[in-house]
Amino acid sequence: MTGSNRTVSVFAGVDRVAVLLYVLLSLVGMAAVVSASWDETSENVFSFSHIYVKQAVWMFAAWVVGLVVLLLDRSIWHKFAYYAYGLGIIVLLATLLVGDKVNGAKAWLHFGGFRVQPMEFAKIAIALAVARFMSEYSFSISRAGDLFRLAAIILVPFGIVILQNDTGSGIVLGSFLFVLFREGLNKWICIPIIFIATLFIVSFLISPTTLLLALITVFTLSEGMMNRRWRDCIRYAAALLLSSIVLYLVLDALLPGGFDYYKSLLIATLLSLFVVLWYAYRNNLRNIYVSVAIFFLSMMFLPTSDFIFSSVLQPHQQKRILNFLGLLDDNYNVNQSKIAIGSGGFFGKGYLEGTQIRYNFVPEKHTDFIFCTVGEETGFVGSIVVLSLLCMLILRLMRMGDRQQETFGRVYCYCVAAIILFHTFVNVGMTIGIVPVMGIPLPFVSYGGSSFMAFTIMVFIAFSLDASTRKGLPTYGGRA
Amino acid sequence: MKGHDELRSPRAVILRAVVLAVFGVIVLRLAYIQLVDDRYGSMARDNFLRYEVQYPPRGEVFDRNGEYLVQSRECYDLMVIYRDLPKEGFDTLRLCDVTGISERKLERALADARMRPRVGSPVFKFLSSEEKLRLDEMNVSGFYTVPRTVRRYPRNIGGNLLGSVGEVSREMLRNYPEYSVGDYIGTEGLEAAYDDELRGENGYVLRDIYSRDGSRDTVLKRSVPGKSVVCTIDARLQQFAEELMRDKVGAVVAIEPSTGEILVMASSPTFDPEELVGRNRGNNYMRELNNSRHPLFNRAVKSSYPPGSTFKLVNALIGLQEGVLTTRNVYPCNEGYDYGRIHVGCHKHASPLGFYYAISTSCNAYFCYVFRNILENDEYGSVKDAYDVWRDYVMSFGFGRKLGSDFLGERSGYVPTREFYDKRYRRSWNSLTVLSLAIGQGELGCTPLQMANLAAIVANRGYYYIPHIVRSVEGCDSLDGRFRERHYTMVDTKYFEPVVEGMWRSVNVDGTSRLAYLKDFDVCGKTGTAQNPRGEDHSTFVSFAPRENPRIAIAVYVEHGGFGSEIATPIASLIEEMYLTGRIERQWLLDYVKNKRINYPMYDRK
Repeated sequence: MTGSNRTVSVFAGVDRVAVLLYVLLSLVGMAAVVSASWDETSENVFSFSHIYVKQAVWMFAAWVVGLVVLLLDRSIWHKFAYYAYGLGIIVLLATLLVGDKVNGAKAWLHFGGFRVQPMEFAKIAIALAVARFMSEYSFSISRAGDLFRLAAIILVPFGIVILQNDTGSGIVLGSFLFVLFREGLNKWICIPIIFIATLFIVSFLISPTTLLLALITVFTLSEGMMNRRWRDCIRYAAALLLSSIVLYLVLDALLPGGFDYYKSLLIATLLSLFVVLWYAYRNNLRNIYVSVAIFFLSMMFLPTSDFIFSSVLQPHQQKRILNFLGLLDDNYNVNQSKIAIGSGGFFGKGYLEGTQIRYNFVPEKHTDFIFCTVGEETGFVGSIVVLSLLCMLILRLMRMGDRQQETFGRVYCYCVAAIILFHTFVNVGMTIGIVPVMGIPLPFVSYGGSSFMAFTIMVFIAFSLDASTRKGLPTYGGRA
Repeated sequence: MKGHDELRSPRAVILRAVVLAVFGVIVLRLAYIQLVDDRYGSMARDNFLRYEVQYPPRGEVFDRNGEYLVQSRECYDLMVIYRDLPKEGFDTLRLCDVTGISERKLERALADARMRPRVGSPVFKFLSSEEKLRLDEMNVSGFYTVPRTVRRYPRNIGGNLLGSVGEVSREMLRNYPEYSVGDYIGTEGLEAAYDDELRGENGYVLRDIYSRDGSRDTVLKRSVPGKSVVCTIDARLQQFAEELMRDKVGAVVAIEPSTGEILVMASSPTFDPEELVGRNRGNNYMRELNNSRHPLFNRAVKSSYPPGSTFKLVNALIGLQEGVLTTRNVYPCNEGYDYGRIHVGCHKHASPLGFYYAISTSCNAYFCYVFRNILENDEYGSVKDAYDVWRDYVMSFGFGRKLGSDFLGERSGYVPTREFYDKRYRRSWNSLTVLSLAIGQGELGCTPLQMANLAAIVANRGYYYIPHIVRSVEGCDSLDGRFRERHYTMVDTKYFEPVVEGMWRSVNVDGTSRLAYLKDFDVCGKTGTAQNPRGEDHSTFVSFAPRENPRIAIAVYVEHGGFGSEIATPIASLIEEMYLTGRIERQWLLDYVKNKRINYPMYDRK
């Protein structure tokens, strides 16, 4: 193995691309926080009262902590996974008892001058515990008992966080499904969970056309993925789209105003299903039957969501979902956020020139809605840059997981990738109105010391585990 | 290697696809809202740009000597954009204190603003500069001020003449697209007549509500200030006339005969135009509206009075032109005119009498003869045909029709038609039936403006210029051509001189108008005493001076003032004296006029 003979240094074997991505992201985040909290009237630019100065301090502190993580013995993460988990649960419980309420969530602890959100750190502990549990020799993903215990590891902190009224952070734990799938969880468990969760929200969507198009895209993609018949899938999608448009034009010409595009698309889709079934039969592709069934189910599912909605969710959560779906008209925050990003255009309005940001139209502009700053001031180009950095980091983490020799490291890396993915999707998604508002930060970009620090530690543990693999060092004792 | 195998695991590939799909969805959505949907750009601009109307200063009005009749004064309207109000609320009490608005009004205004939360709604008007500064210090987001101008009247005269300025009504908005909500518009008098010139054009600005200095404003259209207008009115004379008319009901109109420019147009009682400016406009307007003497009614152009004996001038001129009367004609008068059961009374004077003395002393009987001669002229087949001819003559003097001045609201008065009498007397009428027309009584109605115009016609020996109140408008080379055209009557110029002689004698020799005598100015005049069914006779006087190259022609009408010489003559004479000499020598006459009390039971009765 390369590097195995080198003197052990801090960066030996560390994936430099990943570290570079991390540093770039934290700098981009820094720039965004500066813009979001810039005060042109201030006399002292470097005063500690400025949010961006605090963020800079946190950022450098986190970099130091990241180095420390790399310096630590790589076996301790496996060794102390359960202790960390236990500590995490205790701190979460303590927060539930003595924590501070911020924006309705009792999820913060006060330490002298600054506040910490323990859940940010607890996520690391949960990831470590999940990784440790799944890497046990006796663990089998297909055994029900093991699955239940695994579920308990995830659901206990989930329960506490829900009690803290911090639903956003709780839902992040759903991202562990990603890991379980990677580790061989039956996909017919995964897919319905995802669809039920998604449809639950999406079924209210303003435009049925969008819903239908999304369903078709998802199912075509998943079919392509499962059967590797990409050419047929693309043909199918193109044919469907074309025929629906032709149908629409014809029907509109025959019955002006009688048909909208949605109806034409629906008819075309339903008709196409026969072709699809015939295709599946001819090629003996069973999974297509399942997909078609779920496709039908997902449309049947729509009427029932109303019951769950009103009986299970709390009023403010209902309101957020209704706002998200455009059924309530006080979604001021999301509107302003969309205006900010939408008005950015291709190149943006220029750094520190965003009117929505400058004039405080965007709420929480330096924390949860930090992406508005990016979108408004640097436009589509800047947004793509930030998203690319995050995407590449996630893919890098997955690659790190895949090249791990031990299950522990693989699971952990996937956990980190999943958490970052989920945060990114929910956070950016809510600023552009495709996800209901949930108060979770954009990794490395949002202002917030504890969040930045926790994400740093989280990824650096992954870097550290990866580095030891590449150096050929055992990550922990006996099993190398 | 195991790692290599793991990398090829289909699940790892699927998960990579999921990651890419998630980012793909985000990127597609971003592309849609950032690149495709172009609403957001304008929505962002709407957020911080405010569409503001910039109101131009209204044009100012000068009198004929360059003195301010109407000035514009700066004030501010308080506006609010409901959406921009501070979410945590604001100190309403302090706002009320600073601006002087009542809490109740503020609440109501805010409730209205809530209906249209994105646009500016008016809250309170006519803030002074100091109030505006104090408000700016408070700095409540959502509130802003718009500069306006209001009127100021240095002499506080000419309420009816100048009119007032008010906010444009819904009705006007419907009918005239050039006005927009909140515009000020002249509602009466000069302000209404010359609104197009005075108003100017609104400007439009997109204002960055977060930049205090306005450096980021975008001017869509600059406002164009209203043009100033030079009036033909003599402010000092107008004020003097209004003083003389105080406590009397009636009107004074004075015209410069050589141009048709109106020097004075006073309707009495009048009101202070300042009353109709600012916040109390509505209340004051209602108070004036409910005043039983109707100060808002511009008697100078709107009331229709019997002209009385002043109308004898017209009949004399028609008689001369028709050849049924010469200056040598002599008729008897036995304290009146008798024919059968008809009796038209007259005062005591020498009899029989000639043409000049008849005008000078205003003999009723003489003009009954004249009038009958006109109507019973054999040249026209019947009395009725002759009547038509007579009516045409009268109309050529400007009676019975609008003169077409630039002053809005002018009324036509009334000269009865043949059909009118046919209907009233069931076709059986003759010169005796309508005999009261001989002395300006009966159904005749004319406005003081028409009477003053008559004075101007006689002064000019046969023609008039359409009376008008504006001499020039800023930036316009010349006045409307119609004001520079001579309008001739149907009576030849040569017949005017005898009538002028009669009017001169009336003032200077032996007539009823001797109070109007002014040394060195050959004043000519004719009194009138118009009987009316409502009470005491109306006192009226038409006059011009000097006899040659006349500079002023005037008509005074005082309701229920008694004989013409009793009050109308002195008022007219004083105005002439003031205009011609610039001062008043006859203090006794001034005192007499000012102290003269006239009772108006018909107005003041409750």
